[in-house]
Amino acid sequence: MSPADQLQMQSLERSASFKRSFYRFLLFFILGLFALYYIAPMYVMIVTSLKSMEEIRQGNLMTLPREILFDAWKIAWGGRGYDAGDVFLRPYFWNSMKMVIPAVVVSTFFGALNGYALTKWRFKGDNLVFLLFLFGCFIPYQAILLPMARTLGILGISNSIAGLVLVHSVYGLSFTTLFCRNYYVSISDEIVKAARIDGAGFFKIFFKVLLPISGPILVVTVIWQFTNIWNDFLFGSSFSFGEAAPIQVALNNMVLTSTSVKQYNVDMAAAFIAGFPTLVVYIIAGKYFIRGLTAGSVKG
Amino acid sequence: MATLEVKNLSKKFGLTPVLRQVNLQVTEGEFIVLLGPSGCGKSTLLNMIAGLESVDEGEILIDDYVVNRVEPKDRNIAMVFQSYALYPAMTVRENVIFGLKQRKISKEEIETSLQHFAKMLQIDELLGRKPAQLSGGQRQRVAMGRALVREPHVFLFDEPLSNLDAKLRVEMRREIKKLHEKLGTTMIYVTHDQIEAMSLATRIAVMNEGIIQQIGSPQEIYDQPNSIFVADFVGSPSINLISGILTKSGDSFNFIPDKQQDGFKIPINGYPFKNEPQEGQEIVFGFRPEAISLPNESLKSQLRVELKPTLIELTGYEKDVTFDFHGHEVIGRLLRYSKAELGTAIPLSLDLSEISLFDKSSAKRL
Repeated sequence: MSPADQLQMQSLERSASFKRSFYRFLLFFILGLFALYYIAPMYVMIVTSLKSMEEIRQGNLMTLPREILFDAWKIAWGGRGYDAGDVFLRPYFWNSMKMVIPAVVVSTFFGALNGYALTKWRFKGDNLVFLLFLFGCFIPYQAILLPMARTLGILGISNSIAGLVLVHSVYGLSFTTLFCRNYYVSISDEIVKAARIDGAGFFKIFFKVLLPISGPILVVTVIWQFTNIWNDFLFGSSFSFGEAAPIQVALNNMVLTSTSVKQYNVDMAAAFIAGFPTLVVYIIAGKYFIRGLTAGSVKG
Repeated sequence: MATLEVKNLSKKFGLTPVLRQVNLQVTEGEFIVLLGPSGCGKSTLLNMIAGLESVDEGEILIDDYVVNRVEPKDRNIAMVFQSYALYPAMTVRENVIFGLKQRKISKEEIETSLQHFAKMLQIDELLGRKPAQLSGGQRQRVAMGRALVREPHVFLFDEPLSNLDAKLRVEMRREIKKLHEKLGTTMIYVTHDQIEAMSLATRIAVMNEGIIQQIGSPQEIYDQPNSIFVADFVGSPSINLISGILTKSGDSFNFIPDKQQDGFKIPINGYPFKNEPQEGQEIVFGFRPEAISLPNESLKSQLRVELKPTLIELTGYEKDVTFDFHGHEVIGRLLRYSKAELGTAIPLSLDLSEISLFDKSSAKRL
């Protein structure tokens, strides 16, 4: 290479490396901006919940509290202790737990079973069945309110946690079936064939062979179902009231029905409490979420 | 007595026929290889024998009993799969004994059997591991162990070596052969690899388009292919096929290749025609690459030719040389020290004692 060529090469190299670092900076700058944008509401919630009403009225939304007070949290969770008409979250939080856990378990289990049956035990019309499940994913909540209310009435479980468990299990089944079916499709059929020759039946193959390797997709369905059911307001408010209501309905009642001055700090603390469990689920299982969604074949 | 018999077996997937009237008889202790290109129906046939696919038409008999409606687990068979199909969540030990546990066999018997076969396959050190912690060859052994402990009457292999690298494949192939010689159990083996078929089989069934094209010993299949398809599919490099016309002069026949100039012809003497051919019949003349050699006086029936190499590929022991043969491309297999240069014609012998002739329109052997 001639000296002139070498010089040109060096200058090209410099400009390329400048370009690289410039774009890198731009990328992180924009990402940082968006991160701030998304995190700001949570920041406001937390600082507001730790302030006194006095301070909230005087100050700016973004300022840190002068003194950290947990009073608002205590009131949001357990009430003031003397006011009979007061709404607070503790009983409804447990209502939600009693609703979410069985609904998640039931819908995930049957979703996995459906997915397994649809992929490993092909039958005539299996694709049509799957199509119908897929269709179920697109039915809006509002469309099933009335028929579901009637069904719950006939079954005698309207306005109860059991009724909500049923609603959420059935509604979630489409999604869990879709997830699990797509996961099991990627698992070699030969494993199931081998197990059949070994003498295992439908359920034995499911429990002994497939379920133990379904971890990634079960995490996905659990997160998905937990978040949706926990955050649901429409079903909760339509099919329950009073003491059987889940936490989102209680939160709404608490924030909207206060008779006196708006307690912003209590409202913020309550909203945070209502959103906390889904946050925990994401933090614990979030890294498996993407992995499960993108899981390809499982090599034996 | 036939250990396995397949009678007029047919199968359709939707409207596509995958098997058409397949017949096969396997006697005790045979090693049958079902050989064919992908989509020829060989795996479907194996799956049907295993009971994993339903039968549309025809019968499958194992030990003279019609098993069409018998569950896979009760057919006295074991199967080894291409992907090994080990249960990922179980250890090697659990994998191997899973089938025995379903059969309610006593713990002691299971353990004895496990130890016996684990030793035989040299996987006794691996019993505590999960499949993910094993190499390809080890997985293959475990898959075989799982099949062996069932002590079946018929072993089914579905392309068991296709996922292994070349070196390991040869090794495992030898082990399967040894295993067959040791156990003497009937084995049905599906592959698209003709070298595997040649080296393992006692008989090969060449399949195409849902039909068994030819069934016979590896030597028969190689030397006397009954159709152009079989001739072309078996052997590497492929058989040389040249189309032309058969002419008769007196009692002897001559083959005149297409595209020939200046009256070139190949005399056909003593070819065992099945039926007397016709004058002027369009035929395909086939000879294996090893029929071409440096001039060799000892050949009984030969044609002396001078051919120009157009491509030379060294394979190690031999070299595959492509020649221009009167306008047709043919491959010859010469010893590696043979002198051959691109563009320089060399004198050669074409052995005429092991040629194959096919009718052009029916593609069948003459």
